[in-house]
Amino acid sequence: MKVNILIVGGGISGLSIAYTLAKRGIKDILVVDANYIGSGSTGRCATGIRASFTSEEHVVLMKNSIELWKKLSQPEELGKYGLQFDQGGYVWIASKEESVELFKKLVNLHNSLGVPTRVVSPEELKELVPPIRADEAKAALHDPTAGKSYVFDTLHAYIKACKELGVRIMTFTPVRKLVAGGGKVKAAVTDKGSIEADTFIVAAGSGSKKLMESIGVDIPLKNLPRHIMITEAFKPAFKPLVIDWDAGGAPYIVQTKEGNFIIAREIEEEPEQPLGSVRIDFLPKVVSAMAKWFPWIKRIRVLRYWIGYYVTSPDHHPIYGPVDEYENIYLACGYSGHGYMLAPVTGKIITEWLLDGRPSIPQAERLTLRRFKEGRLIEEFAIVG
Amino acid sequence: MGGEMRKHPTIICRCNDVTIEDVERAINEGYTDLESLRKRLRIGMGPCQGRTCIPLLIRLLARKLGKKPTEITLPVTRPPVVPIPLELFLKSKDVGGERK
Repeated sequence: MKVNILIVGGGISGLSIAYTLAKRGIKDILVVDANYIGSGSTGRCATGIRASFTSEEHVVLMKNSIELWKKLSQPEELGKYGLQFDQGGYVWIASKEESVELFKKLVNLHNSLGVPTRVVSPEELKELVPPIRADEAKAALHDPTAGKSYVFDTLHAYIKACKELGVRIMTFTPVRKLVAGGGKVKAAVTDKGSIEADTFIVAAGSGSKKLMESIGVDIPLKNLPRHIMITEAFKPAFKPLVIDWDAGGAPYIVQTKEGNFIIAREIEEEPEQPLGSVRIDFLPKVVSAMAKWFPWIKRIRVLRYWIGYYVTSPDHHPIYGPVDEYENIYLACGYSGHGYMLAPVTGKIITEWLLDGRPSIPQAERLTLRRFKEGRLIEEFAIVG
Repeated sequence: MGGEMRKHPTIICRCNDVTIEDVERAINEGYTDLESLRKRLRIGMGPCQGRTCIPLLIRLLARKLGKKPTEITLPVTRPPVVPIPLELFLKSKDVGGERK
């Protein structure tokens, strides 16, 4: 089989790239996935979307992404297929004075880049999140532009729109290796035969590193297991995603559109642990952290607990764009836990790299693989949700 | 009698009110494995964790695809299998005194 553009990875990133390319009139795009659509990190994510980050690159990219989420959710784009962007905001709770000081600095950074965050009092926190017990909070950082989007509605909308634009999608088709020669990538070898393409895009999440190794390109990614659980459903209780900044492992809670509560907290983990390796100690750690703010949570029931990978780069920023060794392959991976929220802007960036030679967002150009060779790493210290 | 009954939606997932018609539509849209049907429709994602609906869904999907039910790959089972209250994960001193 021969195609114009082969996208390896049918998660949110691969579909967003396919959609954005197809919207610009590009034909003959094929997306392949090893499993079902969204089976990797996409389908395991907590669905939060925010611009309140701690590096210029992340804030600018996410701000652009949020604009695109809003646009995509309109009926004339993907809203007609069920994509919703619920702009309920994020709140970060500080229980230490030094964290409040840090929040003030972060607010200055966000505001200078056009993201209207602000520090709010415990009383305002209580207004934003009525069922919280806020007495131990010193203050909170409120990001009103942030929100959430139900992942499988979003994937469904992208699938529908991609197919309508002529994009082909092959599921249950693992790519075992890439084949290259003469400075170009020639083909992807799958369980269903070899696929040649003029251009390759690797948006393969936790499988990206191994795939690139097959053509001798080292991408410095680690797959860090992150643990997450969901409770039974209740009527809508509060809109924002709530993060405890000072608890260690940044525990957070968000209510889904069906009413379930998604709760997570980072626990110490070794990279590359299999996704089935659940840990009983996760549940007490996450429950005790959240019960401090929401005592009623003790009475509700957990439905499921699962693990997803944060596909993490050394500076916790994505790896975008071309590689030095081959002229016809582009990377879109290593989001370090933020691939879902970045997906719309990922589509824009990779599309512009292919069609215009460079992305229109200058910060994206700093995020190529080359930065690790040249030692130009990006600083970031708020890697949750 | 069958025709009469089919005028009403037939719910096969009681937790999340998913009907046979919902399932048939999703299968026609290309969701032809249990994992993606589950996520598309939330079937089997409620408190019963699929005990009632997944066996029905397997038969429905197998019939649609012309396969045997045993040829359908089962979805992943997530802990704790049966929903349990979160307070069971807390020490007794953290739980006490709040129950109304």
